Amino acid sequence: MKTDLETIGMLRDSAARYADDNYSFQQRWAVLDTPEGYSRKAWSDFAEFGFLALRLPEEDGGLDGDAVAVGAIMEIVGARLLMEPLLASSVVGTGLLLKLGSDAQKSALLPQLADGSLVLALADEDDAARPCVFADGRLSGRKLGVLHGDIAGKLLVSAQDAARGEAVVVLVDAAGAGVSRRTHKLVDGRGAAIVDFDGAVAELLQPESGTRADAALADIRDEAAVVLCAESLGIVRSLVHITTEYLKVRKQFGRVIGSNQALQHRMVDCLLLQEEIRALTAAAQQALAGPAAERTRIVSGARAYVVHAARKVCNEAVQMHGGLGVTDELDVSHYFRRLMVNAALFGNRDAHFGRFVDAALAA
Amino acid sequence: MTQELRAKAERLRQEVRDFYATVMPADLRDKAHRHQVLSKEDYVGWMRLLDKQGWSVAHWPEALGGKGWSPLERFAFEDELARLGCPWVIPFGVKYVGPVIYAFGTDAQKQRFLPGIKTTEEFWAQGYSEPGAGSDLAGLRTMALKDGDHYVVNGQKVWTTYAQWADWLFCLVRTDRDDKPQTGISFLLIDMKSPGVTVKPIRTMDGFEHVNEVWLEDVKVPAENLIGEEGKGWTYAKFLLKNERTAGAIVGWAWHVLDRLKKHARDTRVNGVALINQPLMRNRIGEYELRFMALELAAYQAVTAMVDGTENGSEASLIKLRGTELYQEVMETLVEALGAAGVAVDIATLHSAGLPPLGPDDTGGILKDHFYNRAATIFGGSSEIQRNIVAKVVLGL
Repeated sequence: MKTDLETIGMLRDSAARYADDNYSFQQRWAVLDTPEGYSRKAWSDFAEFGFLALRLPEEDGGLDGDAVAVGAIMEIVGARLLMEPLLASSVVGTGLLLKLGSDAQKSALLPQLADGSLVLALADEDDAARPCVFADGRLSGRKLGVLHGDIAGKLLVSAQDAARGEAVVVLVDAAGAGVSRRTHKLVDGRGAAIVDFDGAVAELLQPESGTRADAALADIRDEAAVVLCAESLGIVRSLVHITTEYLKVRKQFGRVIGSNQALQHRMVDCLLLQEEIRALTAAAQQALAGPAAERTRIVSGARAYVVHAARKVCNEAVQMHGGLGVTDELDVSHYFRRLMVNAALFGNRDAHFGRFVDAALAA
Repeated sequence: MTQELRAKAERLRQEVRDFYATVMPADLRDKAHRHQVLSKEDYVGWMRLLDKQGWSVAHWPEALGGKGWSPLERFAFEDELARLGCPWVIPFGVKYVGPVIYAFGTDAQKQRFLPGIKTTEEFWAQGYSEPGAGSDLAGLRTMALKDGDHYVVNGQKVWTTYAQWADWLFCLVRTDRDDKPQTGISFLLIDMKSPGVTVKPIRTMDGFEHVNEVWLEDVKVPAENLIGEEGKGWTYAKFLLKNERTAGAIVGWAWHVLDRLKKHARDTRVNGVALINQPLMRNRIGEYELRFMALELAAYQAVTAMVDGTENGSEASLIKLRGTELYQEVMETLVEALGAAGVAVDIATLHSAGLPPLGPDDTGGILKDHFYNRAATIFGGSSEIQRNIVAKVVLGL
């Protein structure tokens, strides 16, 4: 996977331009009001731009985008609070299918993923009381917090194989018999689902390469963690910009509040966090392709630091906007809520920090 | 950053490690290991050793005896030295005044001063701060009034590092009584042996005298020792400050002390469990490791921006702020982890070669660094000044 800088620059620019023209904060209200919590129009536009085929190999009409290329788009997704299932379907779902799908499964599904007709979500988090078990082609159990599980046409489900006693990933039709979904919104307005499987027909992912499911799941969780870093960078860049501009215009006691040294210094600290997030995200993107121990250390370290740093910036942005900062009307609170979801996905801060510490102090 | 540049920096790091292992004299290595205060002779010897390796002025242009190092190589070099616990590269000659002289000096000044700076034949000190002009250099009051072919200088400098050893002082002085705060300042080179120069050491809390007051009373300075033009001193000072703020070694210092803390935490058992496996200490060290990783990556990002010419102006401040904060905190934790040994040192004997009454043989040196490093967030532009600069230059506040 190698994407040249020129292509990445073009991807970034086209995503940013699209958001400028079609996805302003005002235009986004309409998307928030939809029951499915995303814009079908934007989704088909993204398909047209090739964003949905970003992860696909060139022979399948994709861009064979590496983590840097995916990050370029996801930074814009964070910066403009795009609601579409790029992370869930185009990165995680597609990525896992590429790793674990058989050639037949891939050739059946990849074109639908690329043209946007299929949303493929990963259902990974078990309900401890009802873990997912796969036996004789049937799946039973419950998955929680499936991002975009409400709109997914198919689900990739991590499960325990009853016969072999090991982790597997199976493909399930989300509308099939034996699948029931309780859909709900997340705090940032995107949709999710709690999914119950009761003997649902499930198709085992069995790649010709022999890649193990647990290894592929670990890989895709790392990949998701890195993508979330890029999304956080976008969120933080927007908030630093918005808040700095606000400090320059908001007047109290006869002068702009940005002339107060206390606020200047806190704003500088936010900028420093932004620069650190940028450096860590880039390092994590590179580390994905590197040796396993280094990868764990850098990816989980980056994720732990970035979540913490981005949260600090979100809190400061709200605080510095005063009462406005806590209103629904202002974009700041939407960034705040988006980061809450971001921070809860694919391993929270403590989980990644623990992994980081064990890797860093292993010597 | 190109692979080629990265590989070059990596080769340089390896050269530095080889130098430390095979060239550096054992007594200097031992002093460095025990964080001992070095004498002037030690420092001069150290700087000459670096010169022999071609490293003392490697960041100078090749035509002047340097190697034209990029910011990346400068960073890799100083970072690696600091990680190994080597003495610092004394910056006043080679990093500060040297570049000012070759950028703004006359040919005669270049010939007179640059060779002695390169070889540390002459030892330099920096005469910037005054009692009324610390971070705010525009408040300086030392006067240099022209009298025929020389200036007569009167005033007082303070916090002048190594003035007690210096042969020369590069000095910001006011050459015009009536000008605005920043326009009447000039850059003057003062021979420390001149009549009227008095150095009074200031004892710091580590018991040592790193810094001094320098009193200048009717000191006659030849007019040919003026750098550039009268009244342009502020421009040269800003040029110099830019070099001062590259803060190359801080990342390595933070690494070094964190490494030291980890060793101590592995070697020390409390109630049968190694300190590093006690949950609270492990969590703290883990946090420091993570902050170090962020610092190191941000430093590479900053250096890359400097090489590419894409700086936004926050880079050097970011490294200094984060590096010094981390360095101080890790040091505090290390001193705390030393327990009773961490306070069982008589300040008056801190600099003698003897062993401390308790703890490992480098305990005294760690304490010395702990005291000294409180100044790291004050010198070279305090943390508050760094934030002021970024607020103004980058955020436009």
